[in-house]
Amino acid sequence: MRQILSRSTNGPIGMIAALLALIIVFSLLNPRFGSVENLQNVLFQVSVPLIIVVGTSLVIQMGSIDLSVEGVMGAAGMAWILLSPNTRLETDIGVWAWVVALGIGLGFGLLTGAIYAKLKVPSFVVSLGTWYVGLGVAILLYGNSLLPSLTSETLARWPTRLTLGLPNSFWLAAVVLMVGVLISHYTRFGRGLMAIGNNEPIARSNGMPVDRYKIAAFSVAGTLCGLAGILATMQLGSGSPDIGFGQLFVVIPAAVIGGTALSGGEGGVLRSALGVFLLIILNNGLVLAGVDPDFQSGVFGTILLIAVIAVAWPQRGRLKVAK
Amino acid sequence: MNSSIPPVLKLTRISRSFGKVKAVNNISLEIAKGEVIGLTGENGAGKSTLLKILAGIERPDEGTMEINGKVANFRSPNDAFRAGVGVVHQEQSLFTNLTIAENIDQQNTARPGLSRFGCQDWGRINREAAAVLKKIGVDLDPRTRVGDLSFVDRQMVEIARAVCVEADGQGTPLIILDEPTAVLEQAEVEVLEREIRKLREFASVIFVSHRLDEVLRICDRVLVMRHGVLTSDRSTRGVTRDELFRAMVDEAPTIEAHPRSGRPRDLKPAIEVRNLSRAGVFRDISFAAYSGRITALVGTNGSGRGALMRAIFGAVAHDAGTIVVEGRDVSHWSIREAVQAGLAYVPAERKTEGMIGGYSGTRNIALVHRGDAMIGPFLRPRRLEKTAQGWFDRLDVNPNDIAQPLDQFSGGNQQKVVLAKWLNSPDLKVLMLDHPLRGLDVGVSQTVNAEIRQACEHGTAVILIPDTIEEALELADEIFVMRDGQLSAHHDMSLASDLAIKEIVAEMV
Repeated sequence: MRQILSRSTNGPIGMIAALLALIIVFSLLNPRFGSVENLQNVLFQVSVPLIIVVGTSLVIQMGSIDLSVEGVMGAAGMAWILLSPNTRLETDIGVWAWVVALGIGLGFGLLTGAIYAKLKVPSFVVSLGTWYVGLGVAILLYGNSLLPSLTSETLARWPTRLTLGLPNSFWLAAVVLMVGVLISHYTRFGRGLMAIGNNEPIARSNGMPVDRYKIAAFSVAGTLCGLAGILATMQLGSGSPDIGFGQLFVVIPAAVIGGTALSGGEGGVLRSALGVFLLIILNNGLVLAGVDPDFQSGVFGTILLIAVIAVAWPQRGRLKVAK
Repeated sequence: MNSSIPPVLKLTRISRSFGKVKAVNNISLEIAKGEVIGLTGENGAGKSTLLKILAGIERPDEGTMEINGKVANFRSPNDAFRAGVGVVHQEQSLFTNLTIAENIDQQNTARPGLSRFGCQDWGRINREAAAVLKKIGVDLDPRTRVGDLSFVDRQMVEIARAVCVEADGQGTPLIILDEPTAVLEQAEVEVLEREIRKLREFASVIFVSHRLDEVLRICDRVLVMRHGVLTSDRSTRGVTRDELFRAMVDEAPTIEAHPRSGRPRDLKPAIEVRNLSRAGVFRDISFAAYSGRITALVGTNGSGRGALMRAIFGAVAHDAGTIVVEGRDVSHWSIREAVQAGLAYVPAERKTEGMIGGYSGTRNIALVHRGDAMIGPFLRPRRLEKTAQGWFDRLDVNPNDIAQPLDQFSGGNQQKVVLAKWLNSPDLKVLMLDHPLRGLDVGVSQTVNAEIRQACEHGTAVILIPDTIEEALELADEIFVMRDGQLSAHHDMSLASDLAIKEIVAEMV
């Protein structure tokens, strides 16, 4: 644990302080903010982006980026609901639906990673492409017949049901987060991603399997997007190609606010997770504070800009290059 | 030498050609256990190629190499590493965002225990790193981030990595240090020297350097290369600088005694700094530089002189104090304004700040001043090329091709182009140079120094951060010594002609 904390350059203390400040301010603005129901609601909302941000962080730590999140979520979510008990098709294959949906996520991750690592195309463009391929697959699966809704009460209720006072969605996200932290700090693969992000030529000349690590990182990210797609679909109770809408706008800023530099080599999974909490609580608090829904996007964006500027402030300098 | 112990390294008639050029030509040599060997020669003499062969990066065309009595046929750097050859490359090759222990562990190819299954066994990694650091006598916490270390400490981590070579359990490791002192300051060089003395207890060392004084001080034997051939292999006992110099260059040494400009100070300085401060970096600095005179700033790496120079150029902000150029207060100007006012800055980080590697010589020289090569907003390429060709000829840039991307040139030739870019100014008032001779050989250094002197004669005020104190003593009219961000001494060289290096070092630390 000390390894994790000591490695953070400017420490997560500032973020935790910001988080606490937000909670206090919102509690004062609306007492309902601090209620048990609302906290459970926040944990429910935070679980999908938490799962995604683990993969996003691993990818950004090696200096790449994965924009395909929403498309992969759509494809995996649609595949999952059509293979689970639903109102449209009699194709319930039980637990195998999970395997297929996660496999679709893995497949997209492998595809992005392989094109990026082997054909040396920037990951920005590759993942932009796989985003829309994923979206295309989801739209085809959606077709224009009956809306597929979950018919199994057990499945539909699972995400909101409480275990030890916390929603199941959050427990799932917490497990993923734990595994993510273990991967990034206690495996050679995780440390290798940091090394690649810092200086890829040196990583190569040390005999590190750079291409394999890159493909693996995107595969993890893809699989987690698949999982996030399943969870989001379950939370909604019906299938939609747009199930991931807006998630990219949460996870990438969350990673940046958490100190994961887009140039790679800095930051960590846990700190990105704090970033997710910050953004979701902000969103939740704005709603409860009674900000007009028409203003919410604008206010959210403005606060995000302020947060990002605050994060970059200590590193500014006349010759610093930002791209 | 005891015949039962084979030499640590034995080369027999090693050659390597690139096209028609014989970079390494028929080299044979032996290095015994515990010996420290100096290897020197001009840029392009073939040192790098020889090192690459030893490190397993290049393969020789002919000849055999034996390490600890066994024939070595390296196919990769890993082979060399396993045979016991550890290299500290000229460019730092550490991950700055990882810990010392992780960096040392990168080299380790054998993975016992948990690590075999892909786990990062922090306990083992930290323990092993601590053991290696202890073996080479370096007191650093293996859990420190490399990015937080000073240059010399990073150098120690590089050495620790190199020392991890396996060497078959009992063979003697061979540690190659490729110009380790190029980026170090005087006080740090002493730390490195102590380290090399420690290394010889269990390893043999090849020490590559352009600085003959260092080679003579540190090494038992010195090898000199010229045009790919070994021109001298002698014990450092009794050999003189001049003899080594003659082995390095074709003709007899022609170090002319350059009289100092001796030009008296003008009434008004070209540039003056008053009480300049930047929190934690430099404090209350006041000095002036005069037209036609060379002012040197000497100090250790942490003395703040580099940041001071950048602050004057507008590249970093300062908190307090004023900068005055020709009577005008320019305290908070931008780099652009500084350049327009006739300032020039040759940075220490040539590759990342001094030049654009993908650009040709022509385009690099045209980055700042284009003179008559503009019609309104439009460039006149022919004129630019003519200007660039003029500089290439004058500075003898090799290869003499103004269209070739600059990153394909050697460091010395790159530096000539960087210098040309600024000298091309029609009205150069202040020329600031941060370590202009870093990594340059004797010949290029002379060219660069000659250009600095000439600019000076034409009325430019020069502010110099020299690599060595000798350089400052040779060139400067005035020397300012910095220590811990403050000026600690000032010497007017026209008055104090017999200033000793020792005195200045005492003022630095």
